[in-house]
Amino acid sequence: MQVNADALVDLSAGAVLLATGGGGDPYVAQLNALRAVREQGPVQLLPAADLEDDALVAAIGGSGAPVVELELLPSVENIQQALTAFEDHLGRQVDALVSFEVGGANSLIPIIAAAGRNLPVVDGDGMGRALPEAQMMTYALAGVSPTPAVACDYAGNLVTFATSDTATYERHVRALSTKMGGLITTVEHPMSGAQLKRCIVPDTLSFSIELGRVLRGPGDAQQKFAPLSALFRRSIYGSLRHIQTGKVVDRSSRTVGGFDVGTVLIEPFAADWGPVRIEVKNEYLVAWRGERLVACVPDLIMLVDFETAAPINAERLRYGQRVTMFGAGCPRHYRTPEALKVVGPRCFGFDFDHVPLADLTHLHQPLDG
Amino acid sequence: MLAGGEVLATAKVLTTEDVSSGILGALEVVLAERPGLERQVQAVMLGTTQFTNAVAERRQLAEVAAVRAALPSGRSLPPKVDWPEDIAACLGANTYLVKGGTLYDGWPLADIEDREIDSVIADLKAAKVRAVAVSAAFSPMNPASEIAIGERIQAAIPEMRISLSHKIGRLGILERENAALLNASLLDFADSVVASFTDALQRRGLGCPFFISQNDGTLMEADFARRFPALTFASGPTNSLRGAARLAGVKDAIVVDIGGTTSDIGALRGGFPRESSTHTEVGGVRTNFRMPDLLTLALGGGSLVHEGGVQVGPHSLGHKLVRDGLAFGGEAMTATDILVAAGRMRIGDPALVRHIAPKTIAAATGEMRRMLLAGVERMQSGSAELPIVLVGGGVALAAEPLADAGEILIPKHSEVANAIGAAVAQIGAEAERLLAYDRIGRQQALEQVRAEAMRKAVQAGADPATVRVADVEETSISYMADNMTRLRIKAVGEIGRLKTQRPAKETA
Repeated sequence: MQVNADALVDLSAGAVLLATGGGGDPYVAQLNALRAVREQGPVQLLPAADLEDDALVAAIGGSGAPVVELELLPSVENIQQALTAFEDHLGRQVDALVSFEVGGANSLIPIIAAAGRNLPVVDGDGMGRALPEAQMMTYALAGVSPTPAVACDYAGNLVTFATSDTATYERHVRALSTKMGGLITTVEHPMSGAQLKRCIVPDTLSFSIELGRVLRGPGDAQQKFAPLSALFRRSIYGSLRHIQTGKVVDRSSRTVGGFDVGTVLIEPFAADWGPVRIEVKNEYLVAWRGERLVACVPDLIMLVDFETAAPINAERLRYGQRVTMFGAGCPRHYRTPEALKVVGPRCFGFDFDHVPLADLTHLHQPLDG
Repeated sequence: MLAGGEVLATAKVLTTEDVSSGILGALEVVLAERPGLERQVQAVMLGTTQFTNAVAERRQLAEVAAVRAALPSGRSLPPKVDWPEDIAACLGANTYLVKGGTLYDGWPLADIEDREIDSVIADLKAAKVRAVAVSAAFSPMNPASEIAIGERIQAAIPEMRISLSHKIGRLGILERENAALLNASLLDFADSVVASFTDALQRRGLGCPFFISQNDGTLMEADFARRFPALTFASGPTNSLRGAARLAGVKDAIVVDIGGTTSDIGALRGGFPRESSTHTEVGGVRTNFRMPDLLTLALGGGSLVHEGGVQVGPHSLGHKLVRDGLAFGGEAMTATDILVAAGRMRIGDPALVRHIAPKTIAAATGEMRRMLLAGVERMQSGSAELPIVLVGGGVALAAEPLADAGEILIPKHSEVANAIGAAVAQIGAEAERLLAYDRIGRQQALEQVRAEAMRKAVQAGADPATVRVADVEETSISYMADNMTRLRIKAVGEIGRLKTQRPAKETA
């Protein structure tokens, strides 16, 4: 499959849905990606199964605060420069690139980097959604070392990493990015084709393109539920759940386990269902109906505009907005006890264990009620 | 014409080709209705869609050079990167990327280089461009680069007209730069529009100050509007919502404006429209001006009734209602015909709709009720039910269906709600910062930004004694340390200079 300009716009719309509220607005990344594929040609999306076992693959993406991009515009040259610097550091060229996370702008950065070199991008990612930290990537969970890695800032300043473990790497990257303008491009997690096949969340980029095609078409959230459901049903996420349709009646914040967590209250249009409260820290993490859990991380909690079905990220969510809330199960990579120790509710300061979305369906509002 | 909150006279006339004669015509009607009061007029407020229309229709747009100080960032996304080709062509191809601007924390992105600016100036001279828009990374937080570059260009080319982006937009360099470019492109037109307004007022003997309404429902002085025409882009719907609420005497309300083809439903909080969170496109160009959050239903007086009344709209006869509607001797059954047949509206010839089956009338009124109730219910925010203000030509269509949805207010003079909205507006200004709450504390951050917004409002002409905070928007920034928050505060106050009345100038 070739990613051309049309597919890019779909990909970026789907990526906002899968970002579960985080990941930032991919508008700027999309403009850069459009420029890259128009000037340097479309990029091949390679199914992970087609990758040679001894191929060298690296993950590339942005680290830091996406909102910085509003002012500190990244450039195609700068992203491609990061890849070259990584190869120089490694002393070897890569055979393919892969995404950190399908959610948000990071679904597009590998495509921008690959366009300049005619490299393929592997269809899939390391999260199947958006999550805030490097150790939450399936690559890290599978034991792939994040380093050697290279970070490149807006001015082409470079930093190389050789760290003992992913949590330390994450800490260093985070600290560095705040002093390098708030947003850096990192190339990391070099791995073999065989390693990647074992840990990649497969087919998420092509899935995101299909989602985007539906989301950008005509119709409101209710009308798009059926086609979206059909796509989810045959994906790694399984069935799509309609949790609530209503309006945002409150936004506030409180402290949970030392983190400042925002709360969004969605009151239903249908009077016989109570309001749903979503707790937000970068992403939509946990949702409650009264005292009862209706969905929690790492399962996907997604909000779209009711009238247009355009996905809404947390920074854009406002009082009075009319929204539809969907849920989907996380990829199987996150369903093991080991993975849940890294990405479960407790990792975000909540005092309870993960409950699979499939066990909570009685608390989800049916679409027409 | 208003005295305090009281409406003294109103007029509604069609827009004319030369604009000023239409305004003069409306003024004549109003002044004639209240003879002898013209010397007591203290201020004239104008709401205009002239500049929005010019951008939409690609006319009156002058060539503009773009100078952006943000290198080494953003090289692949030059100014006008995502513009429709036709409007990009109107502004010409002179774009310059130079070093300058800051990072989010105030650290210089790069120092401005004299040599680069000299070369831009030489080029501007050679190209004979007459207007320029200057943008810089993070300029709403630190405008030094924009100011320095603007001063250099002005010193070298004194007749150059310059728009600095930090004076026009918010965070988001592409959108702010777009707004500055459109603004610079409209400066000549703004001169002629303001001059023709001034002329129209002077000729009628109204020498009082006059104001033009802005996007956010506040006013700017006419002289200010000559330099910032882009700030009027979204003022139309804002004025209508505010005018409706003012006429009804409420500050928190749902406003339903029923026209011929659509019904627009908006919400007012504290007297100002609740804003949409999406970007506003003006003539296909992305800006970050905020528009009122409007829910538009395809239901108006001209909406076609199908399938025995089960379906109403989305197609409408629009202004052809008075020719093609049943009650007017036409062939098409519309929402208006249903109301006439039901005896709820007196217009056209009731005999011509007598044949409509009671079943159809019941089905169509039921469908209209369902659409309106669902729309109003969606715009109602929170648990407290807000009063519903009905304005526009189709008030009769909504009054009965919405009776159960809340308190219904149908103000007098609603046909001129837009002008009332402009006339009752205040002077406002806003300030925006990215601040780390964990470092400086939320209270201190709020205080700092509030003081800046209030200072700006007074500078813009607000009476210091009446300036207050109208809106606070706090957005927590994802993936950033120290509880970094984007804080935006809007302050408004009454017009300062009106307290001491100026004598009206004699007509020449």
